[in-house]
Amino acid sequence: MAILQATHLLKRFGSVTAVRDLSLTIAEGEVVGLLGPNGAGKSTTLHMMLGLITPDAGSIKLFGMELAQHRTEALSQVNFAASYVDLPGVLRVREVLDAFARLYAVRHPRRRVDEMIELFELGPLAKRQLMALSSGQRTRVQLAKALLNAPRLLVLDEPTANLDPDAGDRIRGLLSRLARENGSAMLITSHNMREVERMCDRIHFMSDGVVVAAGSAAELAGRYGAEDLEEVFLKVARG
Amino acid sequence: MTTLTLPPLSLAARRTRVLGVVRRDFAALRRSPIRMFEILFWPTVELVLWGFVTLFLQAQKVPFVVSFLLGAVLLWQVLQKASNEISIAFLEDIWSRNLLNVQVSPLSSVEYLVGLVLFSLGKVAFAVAVMAALALGLYGFGVTSLGVGMVPFMGVLLVLGWSLGLVGIAAVLRFGENAQVIAWSLVFVVQPLAGIFYPVSVLPAPLQAVSWFLPASHVFEGMRTVMAGGALPWDRLAWAAALNVGYLAGTLGLFAWALRYARKHGKLSRFGD
Ligand SMILES: Nc1ncnc2c1ncn2[C@@H]1O[C@H](COP(=O)(O)OP(=O)(O)O)[C@@H](O)[C@H]1O
Ligand SMILES: [Mg+2]
Repeated sequence: MAILQATHLLKRFGSVTAVRDLSLTIAEGEVVGLLGPNGAGKSTTLHMMLGLITPDAGSIKLFGMELAQHRTEALSQVNFAASYVDLPGVLRVREVLDAFARLYAVRHPRRRVDEMIELFELGPLAKRQLMALSSGQRTRVQLAKALLNAPRLLVLDEPTANLDPDAGDRIRGLLSRLARENGSAMLITSHNMREVERMCDRIHFMSDGVVVAAGSAAELAGRYGAEDLEEVFLKVARG
Repeated sequence: MTTLTLPPLSLAARRTRVLGVVRRDFAALRRSPIRMFEILFWPTVELVLWGFVTLFLQAQKVPFVVSFLLGAVLLWQVLQKASNEISIAFLEDIWSRNLLNVQVSPLSSVEYLVGLVLFSLGKVAFAVAVMAALALGLYGFGVTSLGVGMVPFMGVLLVLGWSLGLVGIAAVLRFGENAQVIAWSLVFVVQPLAGIFYPVSVLPAPLQAVSWFLPASHVFEGMRTVMAGGALPWDRLAWAAALNVGYLAGTLGLFAWALRYARKHGKLSRFGD
């Protein structure tokens, strides 16, 4: 069964068509990347999958359930992190994770929070307030939050955009490992081509709200006669 | 589904999620001494101010029960706090860019609101307890002079405050962050109309008619009746409660509509831009 099945999504904001006739299926454990220039409609697509934005047309099924009718059930198996969201800065790391473990109705919150703190090496930071952390450290806390419920689908919108190459590389390593171990499916956007090449089983290129090409990194490179994904990106983005 | 999480629609899961909201707000309050200070600052200032007015009026031998004023300040704080604390809790998610994290969680709107209401209850109780102690210590005014009326009076004001807070949140969802002005100020529209510091009878007739439809008016009229030695006007309180039920249903509907609007127009991710 597909984890996510979106068909013929349409979203307009006034005169702007942000997403047009977008269909996307993700299988259990699959890692899918959305690429495209700024304004292509990637975030809008992700937000529709998460119930933050209501599509004007089309349907979204998560785990076989219509998202609009089964919001709570569907979202309890999903999680999200993005470069443009933050967790409450005044809270300590452990307090944030404690609170979100409960928002996801985790059965044994304390034990689960301990596991996440260990996994993301947050032990020495557990009693620090989030606002006192570096962006790399904060990203780690966000990802710990995003894995509290061991989601079957993890949605990541430019997760490493705020990070220096070293911190970004660590996060990528961690995410790839988690994807393998947990079997979580992922839907990722990024402007880092190497990140996408390394992590994604399948890539969808978006431009002006439309998916213009889809396939593995190698397939796309072959189809566009390009050396790598970066060259594909430039060819697609410049028409 | 694994056994890591509770069945999402079970009562246990709902309770856990509501608790998550309360815990988060509690931790946030604990970590921000400024907010703690603010919860106590304005009530204390108002209490001290009106306490001295009361002392002055007593010295002038003004022929009415001047401790009305202290009772009024106390009850007014219940209304104002209930209203503001609810909208603050919501706005704090926007200010800290945490709103999306909450909105993509399985928390339902009802659970979210129940969490906010429970936590606001704690903050109101705290502020009122401190004020009551001050009123007694500084001016020898005991809230117990309100008798059993205390409970229905505060109950009516709390529920009205939540309705007003919901209007504030709905306004922010509909019109964006700048509408937080509405969240702060709406409750002050009630102030002159509800006859807090004077009987409703001093208002011109058309405004008296308006005030009849404000649950708060009946509380403050009732308070003066009780403090003057009269019986608790249960008929008025029943009418106020009925109005409250209507208003709460209306404002919940308004909130639901505003949230649908925000999702439709992609507003949730645009706060702070
Ligand atoms: N909430 C919104 N209101 C109005 N326009 C929006 C909103 N969200 C996105 N848009 C517009 O929709 C288009 C796609 O945006 P977005 O999905 O954020 O693209 P991307 O994430 O690929 O950069 C852009 O033209 C953007 O300005
Ligand atoms: Mg984006």
